[in-house]
Amino acid sequence: MKRTVLYDCHLESGGRLVDFAGWHMPVQYQRGILQEHLETRRSAGLFDVSHMGRFEIAGRRALEFLRWVLTNDAGSLLPGWSHYTLLADEAGGAIDDAYLYRFSPEEWLLVVNASNAYKDWEYLQRKAEEMGGVQMKNLSAELAMMALQGPQSEQILIGLLERGSLPEPKRNALGAVRIAGCEVLVGRTGYTGEPICFELFVPARSAEKIWSLLLEKGACPVGLGARDTLRLEASLPLYGHEYGQDIFGRPIPILACPAARFGVDLKDPERRFIGRDALEEQKKGLKRGICAFRVIGKGIARAGAAVFQGTREIGRVTSGTVVPYWVPREVTCPLHCGHGSGWEAHFSGRTGQRPIGLALVDGPLGAGAMVEIDLRGRRIEAVVVKRNLDNYGGPITFAVL
Amino acid sequence: MIDPEARYLRTHEWAKKEGGGIFSVGLSSYAVEQLGDIVYMELPQPGDTLEQSGTFGVVESVKAASDLYAPLGGEVLEVNQVVVENPDLLKEDPYEEGWLIKIKASNPSEFEDLMDAKEYKHFLETEAE
Repeated sequence: MKRTVLYDCHLESGGRLVDFAGWHMPVQYQRGILQEHLETRRSAGLFDVSHMGRFEIAGRRALEFLRWVLTNDAGSLLPGWSHYTLLADEAGGAIDDAYLYRFSPEEWLLVVNASNAYKDWEYLQRKAEEMGGVQMKNLSAELAMMALQGPQSEQILIGLLERGSLPEPKRNALGAVRIAGCEVLVGRTGYTGEPICFELFVPARSAEKIWSLLLEKGACPVGLGARDTLRLEASLPLYGHEYGQDIFGRPIPILACPAARFGVDLKDPERRFIGRDALEEQKKGLKRGICAFRVIGKGIARAGAAVFQGTREIGRVTSGTVVPYWVPREVTCPLHCGHGSGWEAHFSGRTGQRPIGLALVDGPLGAGAMVEIDLRGRRIEAVVVKRNLDNYGGPITFAVL
Repeated sequence: MIDPEARYLRTHEWAKKEGGGIFSVGLSSYAVEQLGDIVYMELPQPGDTLEQSGTFGVVESVKAASDLYAPLGGEVLEVNQVVVENPDLLKEDPYEEGWLIKIKASNPSEFEDLMDAKEYKHFLETEAE
């Protein structure tokens, strides 16, 4: 089984290691999934995401290549910016979803799911050879990747800067800084729904040092368990659940997933990218869609559970579990709530738990629609929601209850 | 941690003699540890009849739902509502406050089929995942 360069750090932090896509990764640390989730929402969570695939793409025809194999338009991506994108097949299904970073004008960095990294690399290599003039380099080993997410993460990073400044405070902005004597590439990106979020690309040899420094400054190590609950609370899709194939083995159309619209760009009619025709069709309307729900009855709806309206089965849960949340403080006077200042005042210190999830259902199913979910032969009530988490335009997130 | 008084199933449920053919049933600290944060439990109703090794409920962590198996057959006398409302009890005190149900065994000799503490310890060291 493969290990990231931070393997020893995980053991040191009491990580419980499991097999994930061929990698020995921490599913949780000492504090446990619930606490790690809550720490990320209130303070800052630190994630090792070095198991993901990182491919550098350069060469004379690199831009043309990216505009052909990816659904978002790499031509609209300025140096110093990143965006969400997908690798579509001709039928409009997802080969993978990914993030494309343009740290410098001539080189692009594509970050893909660990579970698809090998498949993606083989596929992209084949397409690159077909086109010619494209050089791909697998940086997954020499460049470690970690995510620092949550309201405190910016302060933690600022405290460590030796040179350079953080990217401007806009999602997807990129920058380069020096921390502990090494060059670190920084993106304001992430997979938690946190508005204040960073992903760091660090030379492998410096990864342990930077990881330890971030922990010293107060970041909480977070494993894959809470990575999943955080992304689910933010309704962010996961390949293998909301993308790829449904539990019957049928392809899920990319645009069935509302998040996909951020990663598909059909504006330039001249750009003939792989999957375009199918996506144009999908855009006209789909019979099925991914929606977020909250369970009202008692029980936890998990992936695979059947969703009903009346006697009719309308779909299946694609992801579902229980997530913890901070009970919002009741603020009687917004100017003088008397509980300290700034964002900390919003946390009452009390927590709760709620079962939520995403489902692929015949639709369109609007927010407020009532459904029933089968739980081992028993039906529980759930309501379709627009979102389960909201930051209302500010720096911290709240559970939408 | 293994309670020397209890006897165990391979699926990590324990049973302890309460006297008069009544047994308390719970989940071993090893199983609780493996599950991680327990967030939800489904337990039977008093009066329900159980078979030895039959399922009697579900315990759910963030990651997964796991069936609970009855160490002995019999009638459910009591259900620990405190632990249902506060699953943390399972972690804090799995063999006392964290008991799940009490059973009036239909055949108390089934207790002898279970692994004793020493056998269970050996099982954990050699076979358990």
